[in-house]
Amino acid sequence: MRHRIAVAAFVLVIVPIASIGQALAPGADKTPVAKKTTAASKTWNPPRTPWGEPDLQGIWDFATITPMERPKELAGKEVLTSEEAADFERRTLEQRNPDRRDGGSQADVGRAYNQFWWDYGTKVIGTKRTSLVVDPPDGRIPPLTPEGQKRAEARTVARQRPAFGPEDRNLWERCIMGGNTGPPMTPGPYNNFVQLFQTRGSVVIFNEMINDARVVPLDGRPHLPPNIRQWRGDSRGRWEGNTLVVDTTNFTDEPNFRGASAKLHVVERFTRVAADVLLYEFTVTDALTWTKPWSAAIPMSKTEGPIFEYACHEGNYGMVNILTGARAQDKAAEETAKKESK
Amino acid sequence: MAAILLAVVGPAAGQVYKAPRTANGKPDLNGIWQALGTAHWDIEGHAARPGPVVALGAVGAVPAGLGVVEGGQIPYQPWAAEKKKENSKNWLTADPEIKCYLPGVPRATYLPFPFQIVQTPKHVLMTYEFASASRIIYIDRPDFESPIDTWMGHSRGRWEGETLVVDVTGFNGQTWFDRAGNFHSDALHVVERYTAISRDALRYEVTIEDPKVFTRPWKMSMPLYRRLDKNVQLLEFKCVEFVEELIYGHLRKKTSKGKEDPK
Repeated sequence: MRHRIAVAAFVLVIVPIASIGQALAPGADKTPVAKKTTAASKTWNPPRTPWGEPDLQGIWDFATITPMERPKELAGKEVLTSEEAADFERRTLEQRNPDRRDGGSQADVGRAYNQFWWDYGTKVIGTKRTSLVVDPPDGRIPPLTPEGQKRAEARTVARQRPAFGPEDRNLWERCIMGGNTGPPMTPGPYNNFVQLFQTRGSVVIFNEMINDARVVPLDGRPHLPPNIRQWRGDSRGRWEGNTLVVDTTNFTDEPNFRGASAKLHVVERFTRVAADVLLYEFTVTDALTWTKPWSAAIPMSKTEGPIFEYACHEGNYGMVNILTGARAQDKAAEETAKKESK
Repeated sequence: MAAILLAVVGPAAGQVYKAPRTANGKPDLNGIWQALGTAHWDIEGHAARPGPVVALGAVGAVPAGLGVVEGGQIPYQPWAAEKKKENSKNWLTADPEIKCYLPGVPRATYLPFPFQIVQTPKHVLMTYEFASASRIIYIDRPDFESPIDTWMGHSRGRWEGETLVVDVTGFNGQTWFDRAGNFHSDALHVVERYTAISRDALRYEVTIEDPKVFTRPWKMSMPLYRRLDKNVQLLEFKCVEFVEELIYGHLRKKTSKGKEDPK
């Protein structure tokens, strides 16, 4: 059990600062990784709801230090040995430790959010794979399409300049979506918890981060019409054997996932492979962003609750400070320009 | 004879409808529900009145309502009655709903948006379209005290016959009851009762207790209606993106032409 009380405290004072956002930004997970164990069995017979569906309910923890993409230095290595995994965990935790004081004053400022605030987890995933990406087999996200690249560049420009307005910042900093909630969900720096609720005809995917509840109808109804777009998309579910399959479309032109486009199509698969392990797999397809579809797998582990309220927007001093800082930068630049012209 | 008596007495006792049951034998309240009426404008009875935004004309005016407060008036302490007036006067700048803040309980229930009840044996999840607010109601865990004060409060539920009773504590005191400035403090204690009165309607009764603001506990009640629209589902109304201009607009980069295109 990790420090849930600390997480709760964070919830109330949350200031989504740029550095947190960057931690989740595409390309940010360049830490070295982990290794191999037998894949969890998909044949384990899960408990059932009274109406006969596999019972996936509970609070699931998807924190891990296994990176999304296989680090370059581990190219060709799919799975770590137990020793390599232990070594990787130790090195990662050392590197990430913001309580270190060996980097000078600038590094200290960067580490102002000390260890108290973070909850990345301390372990690689149970399979000890070196990446969460399982397809392509090299564990790397496929290259961006030219159009995807153009959008990525535009985002970089917006993120790096003194923000013109809130729209220059990411959805997390704006408190519209959680940085790790997707869809699809991906491990982030804290609040990596999701609670599943099941009732006849629906499943609810309730993320702690920004407390977003995705109600997923299982009755075979069609997706929303194409003119209704949503930040979290529009999800429909069905059972394939013991696996809950959730199909999500109808995203806005700024989905909450790695610079994807409105064409994003997410298929998530939830399979309870042991009493305390929920295998979460997703495949993303977006021809305007990636040159081919790709897939990842994250085993989630059962944990105790509760899920806390995450009131992000209500305490978003971060956005006020980012924009106030940006205007101060503008003013300073103007004054410098004036002096130079004299 | 007994059956006949029961049939006669039943309606008088106010308990005529027995809801279908869930798998664990409790009244099945699953579904998408919504209040009708004008409680979101003002929970006390009120005549129609103009709104503060001239440009909105008839659309921005406040429709009349009979009120949902038992006895008609909220028993404010004298200082609190003054504060309520002040809130009302400063509605546009003071109401947390305008800023898209989490609405709290019971306000979330009767906002002009649907909400969904998702019922399981251990939890009832209530998820609201407005601001994507949600709360988890813990069933039969009377000892689970509120771990921390929050906007939506800490909800513990139990079944009393046909009724879901929810005890809500742990409020941070920053939410209101309506757009008329009716308010409470962090000492708020809410007891909600949800009872099916037909397949498609619930009776919603609320007891409000807050010794810092009111002279005594008081009640409100109203029906909630099932949304029967084809393929009805909660849609997204995050609303943060709709209030960024209001909250952060003064911090935008300005150019000689006015606002800069953000993209």
